[in-house]
Amino acid sequence: MAEWNTFYRNEEDEEDQEEGEQSGDYKATGRDSLVFLVDASKEMFIKGEDGQPSNFDMTMQVVRSVYASKIISSHRDLMALVFYGTEQSKNPRNSFKHVYVYHDLDEPGAKRVQDVDALRGDKGAQLAAETMGSGETSLGDALWCCANLYSDIKLRLSHKRLMIFTCRDEPHGSDGAKDRQARTKAGDLKETGVVVNLMHLMKPGGFDVATFFRDVISPPEDESELGLQLEPCDKLEDLKKRVRAKEQKKRAMARMNLCLGEGLNVAVGIYATAVTARKPAPIRLYRETNEPVRSKTRTFHTQTGSLLLPSEIKKSQVYGKKQIVMERDEVDAIKKFEDPGMSLIGFKPMAKLKRHHHIRPAVFLYPEEDEVKGSACLFSALLTKCSERNVFALCRCVARRNFPPRFVALVPQKEEVGEGKVQISPPGFHVIYLPYADDMRTLDPPQFPTASQRQVDKMKEIVSKLRFKYRSDAFENPVIQQQYRNLEALALDMMAPEDIDDLIMPKVDQIDNRLGPLVQEFRDLVYPDGYNPENKAAAKRKTADTGGGAEKKPKVEVAEDELRAHAQNGTLGKLTVPVLKDACKRFGVRTTGTKKQELIDALIAQLGK
Amino acid sequence: MAGGKAALVLCMDVGFSMSNSAPGEESPFELAKKVIQKFVQRQVFAETKDELALVLFGTDSTKNSLDRDGQYQNITVHRHLMVPDFQLLEEIENEIHPESQQADWLDALVVCMDLLKTGTQGKKCDRVNISLLTDLNTPANSEQLDVIIENLKKANITLQFFLPFPAEDDEEDGGDADRRSPGRPGTGKGLSREQQSGLDMVKHVMLTLNEEDGLDEIYSFRKAVEQLCMFKCIEKRPTAWPCLLTIGSCLPIRIVGYKAVTEERLKKSWTTVDAQTNQKDDVKRETVYCLDDDNETEVQKDDTIQGFRYGSDIVPFSKVDQEQMKYKHDGKCFAVLGFTKQNLVRRHHFMGTQVMKVFPAKEDEHAGIALSALVRALDGLNMAAIVRYAYNSISSPQVGAAFPCIKKDYECLIYVQLPFMEDLRQFTFPSLENNKKFTPSDKQLSAVDSLIDSMMLVEEEGDDNGDQKDMFKVHHLPNPAFQRHFQCLHHRGVSPGAPLPPMEPWLKAALERPHVITERCRGPLEEVKRTFPLTEVEKKKKLKTSAQIFGKDSEEPDAKKAKGDEEEEEEDDYNFADIAEGSVTSVGSVNPAKDFRLLIKKKSLPFGEVCQQLTGRIEQLLGNKNTPYYMKSITCIQAFREQSVKLGEANLYNGYLQSLKRSIPNRGLEVFWELLVQDAITLISKDEVEGSTVSKTDADQFLVSEEKKEEAAAPPVEDTGDVDDLLDMM
Repeated sequence: MAEWNTFYRNEEDEEDQEEGEQSGDYKATGRDSLVFLVDASKEMFIKGEDGQPSNFDMTMQVVRSVYASKIISSHRDLMALVFYGTEQSKNPRNSFKHVYVYHDLDEPGAKRVQDVDALRGDKGAQLAAETMGSGETSLGDALWCCANLYSDIKLRLSHKRLMIFTCRDEPHGSDGAKDRQARTKAGDLKETGVVVNLMHLMKPGGFDVATFFRDVISPPEDESELGLQLEPCDKLEDLKKRVRAKEQKKRAMARMNLCLGEGLNVAVGIYATAVTARKPAPIRLYRETNEPVRSKTRTFHTQTGSLLLPSEIKKSQVYGKKQIVMERDEVDAIKKFEDPGMSLIGFKPMAKLKRHHHIRPAVFLYPEEDEVKGSACLFSALLTKCSERNVFALCRCVARRNFPPRFVALVPQKEEVGEGKVQISPPGFHVIYLPYADDMRTLDPPQFPTASQRQVDKMKEIVSKLRFKYRSDAFENPVIQQQYRNLEALALDMMAPEDIDDLIMPKVDQIDNRLGPLVQEFRDLVYPDGYNPENKAAAKRKTADTGGGAEKKPKVEVAEDELRAHAQNGTLGKLTVPVLKDACKRFGVRTTGTKKQELIDALIAQLGK
Repeated sequence: MAGGKAALVLCMDVGFSMSNSAPGEESPFELAKKVIQKFVQRQVFAETKDELALVLFGTDSTKNSLDRDGQYQNITVHRHLMVPDFQLLEEIENEIHPESQQADWLDALVVCMDLLKTGTQGKKCDRVNISLLTDLNTPANSEQLDVIIENLKKANITLQFFLPFPAEDDEEDGGDADRRSPGRPGTGKGLSREQQSGLDMVKHVMLTLNEEDGLDEIYSFRKAVEQLCMFKCIEKRPTAWPCLLTIGSCLPIRIVGYKAVTEERLKKSWTTVDAQTNQKDDVKRETVYCLDDDNETEVQKDDTIQGFRYGSDIVPFSKVDQEQMKYKHDGKCFAVLGFTKQNLVRRHHFMGTQVMKVFPAKEDEHAGIALSALVRALDGLNMAAIVRYAYNSISSPQVGAAFPCIKKDYECLIYVQLPFMEDLRQFTFPSLENNKKFTPSDKQLSAVDSLIDSMMLVEEEGDDNGDQKDMFKVHHLPNPAFQRHFQCLHHRGVSPGAPLPPMEPWLKAALERPHVITERCRGPLEEVKRTFPLTEVEKKKKLKTSAQIFGKDSEEPDAKKAKGDEEEEEEDDYNFADIAEGSVTSVGSVNPAKDFRLLIKKKSLPFGEVCQQLTGRIEQLLGNKNTPYYMKSITCIQAFREQSVKLGEANLYNGYLQSLKRSIPNRGLEVFWELLVQDAITLISKDEVEGSTVSKTDADQFLVSEEKKEEAAAPPVEDTGDVDDLLDMM
């Protein structure tokens, strides 16, 4: 256990740091919100060819997956699900006809996931028909209703997005007044900062965005985003991808200057594109009511019991038997080298970026034209040239206030666009953190003879049999998935949690099948008869265990003068806890504690007499 | 126990020649003292159990166990083998001064060896090392040299030399160049005869002890202080992680993993002490739990249970249940899931905080060959293994990549963690290339091109062997945060009253761009500056916050005085939420009433103008003839009235309402009027606002009498108002 702790200590520290960053962000900017505005007209329920799911069904699957992922990744975001073109009406003041607010703008929970689940498939279509039905369409009213949802929220919203899912490019037929009203309402929404996106679905004869929706949706976020030319979605995966790309609001972890030289500052934003997702932290609940309790931490004086002000506290460390005391702000000041920012040191060929120089996940750099005008152009030129010449930029980086500097490699990445005009990789620099000398451990690599060509070739056959295309998003974290399945089961009173697929479990049977006789052939080439790597490991451990036990025993006896010498030299710490305990016994020292330092202190007190 | 302890002797020359220096340069004595301080400092702060002794030579007095018959004179054993502590640091700081004698450095070496011999008797020491710091300016008697070397070898003692000058002329070109000192101190003067012969002896000793790398253990003072990298060789070795690498069920290879690269952290953290007594025990921290009610009722920790959030739901979930239901696995493993092309595993997808090197199990030649086959096969195919890795049964399993790594004297796999789907955030960013606004011109591109040329940190070496010289190796730099941390702790420990010292100049310089580059890139930087106009955009954000503060400070006290509690609460409500949004500059169509209130509050526009904007919106809304629009209009009129009363400005409102009433029949807005009557929104009377020309009764009549007077009512001011007129009136 102790070993495990030391091994994972760093990760925990890291966690604190990351958490700090995230919560800081939230405070500064408020909550994100997303409204799904879904067409519930008859057309949406028409099933595709070959039993393809209907557009409505597909939409519900997407909504469900977004709900579920939000619960895991950002449960504080607000979501709403609104249907339009329904027969029945349900909205806060019931002032709009044919608009059905299925879920008000709120944090998604287990119940909501269940609700959406109920709308999936054939049964779902039936349920939708029963509860909502299909009726007249007034997109204007629907949009207005959504606007009210936003304005009823008392929380501060940082990012507001509305997605319209429909397969009808002329929702109002030829009713010009309704079209006009919808456009006005869309305009109002956009004016309040709501980004309106269209997730248009397949329709016989093709979906023409230009006839109506062009004026309803928000203009593309930049000129090149060819939003309007997008083909309608007909595949679930595509739709999921498209929704996902829009649904996550990118938020800069930090904005700073990239200083190329004196007076030459490019404004950049730093984005975390991969952050280790962790099991959520538990919260404390009051036993009686299950309501969350808040925790307050206070610092007080042991003797007087009075609360201590920050000015009445100092920080201290003990080293080499000496206490060193500093003011709290001095502790911060030590860490400060310079203000946050990046300073260019120079460039190196990509080959100089070693694979094993890795200490933490990379972040992403993109220009902030809003801060310094001209940044994007210079950034773009740097990006073009760095990637053309296959070099990276080496920078000194201070990520935030009172952070000591780290060196980073800025690795260029050109934009890549895939099928369906979905951006696969955005343009910008990856920021790779580089290790200092202290971070490199010295190892004594064991030396062995190398394998012969025949052995290598046999292994190559094995490797080739087991090749696959790695995708970074192919593996779910079984630990987190299990935790959420458990919570889901408890939240929804399910009998047992759903089973998870452990995707990072090797498919042993398949592997064995594929390899067939190759394994034995390789073993014959490499391992001699009677060599069993598994047995040997086990056997060795056993002997090591007994040997270790036998070795430890005689150590317990330590001569008195030796103990005294240790006490004098301040080297008692070198002895093991059992030895120290034994010594305490022999000297008649009574100790209450079992911690090493307590034992040492007690011994020193005794021997010093 | 990983790694045994070490016994080290620092042996420093304090003789008179050590204080000689060229003007403006630090003397060898000062530099050597710094090296020792740094070294001891690091040992103290690393809290190693290694024992350390300090021997000075060239001292005025003599104090050592070999002192006999005038032999081994002027050599002082300052401190015997002991775990270094702060006292030693203080002694070095305050008690070590240049002295006026000289002593043979070989004699000093013998004293050190003797000290080690007696000091380590009966102890298990992994490493025994002597570090000798001298300028070699005393003649040394080389008669015993071979005996000494023999004894060093026998006792397995390693040697390090620290000299004021580099041992080899080409030292600086070999590895890391010293970038910042064009005229190197210590080298220019040339060596004295004693120094030259001393240096030859040193080289002889070192090469006899270690044929290959002996000379690598001779350092110059300056370099030692700057890099401190040599201290790494006396650090602890990382713990071994033995495991089985498996491919399917039948192909296991015995391996052992070591953490090779990981972000090192300071081992100690700060404890909180009372400012007066400096006692930790005087300060107590306590966490209490309280309900989220008005009284913040405290509850006992025992009365709380553990729960989790599932979105908006809160699920009680006890530790026991959690333990039982959590994901369980078989523990320690390094299992291959499959193999993939190396280029599919992108560098920026590396996760986690460490890199592990995987070697064959110790003393298992068969494992060695098996792993070698795998490493070479992967390397030949340019592939990597994707593996499931679990450190032990308590830790969470990971997915990661194992890359082949073939070095001159070993082969291994390099394991790095890869992301789970949950870790990734798929952000899209606007294209830079396809955006005409941001496309750099050819001229701009070539300016960047020459900037890169001038700032290349890696250069091809002149000769044709293709060697490269890297001017800035980050992984050779000590972590500046540690250096600074220990410098400050050291300083505070030695002189508790003094303020923190400034940053050491060498440390500052080590973090900067190499001097050569700074010189070389000056021109290209200017060119980039010329071709790329950069203008800092005035921070709107900042203005917003200051407006917020301003608004709060100047208005709130007034508002509090003037209004009742209820109203005030409402005020606060939008104060924080809405002013913060800050973007309202005119009455919009979405929430005109709210905008109107806000604008009035902000006083950024004249009252009349804001009213005009509002009535404009009302007219627009009424154009729609639909109940929801009517309702919205009514809230606008309510807001209009309320603000007018508040400001004591009745006329604009009354005028508007009167003309609105007149226009009702023409515009067919009877339904709307009824709603207005229902809500009893009428004119502002004298009773409410002094300046009003309408009496209380008139105001009451205004709505009631409508129906009766329908025909008779003669418009007092104007004829049937059409929309434009209404607006012009304001």
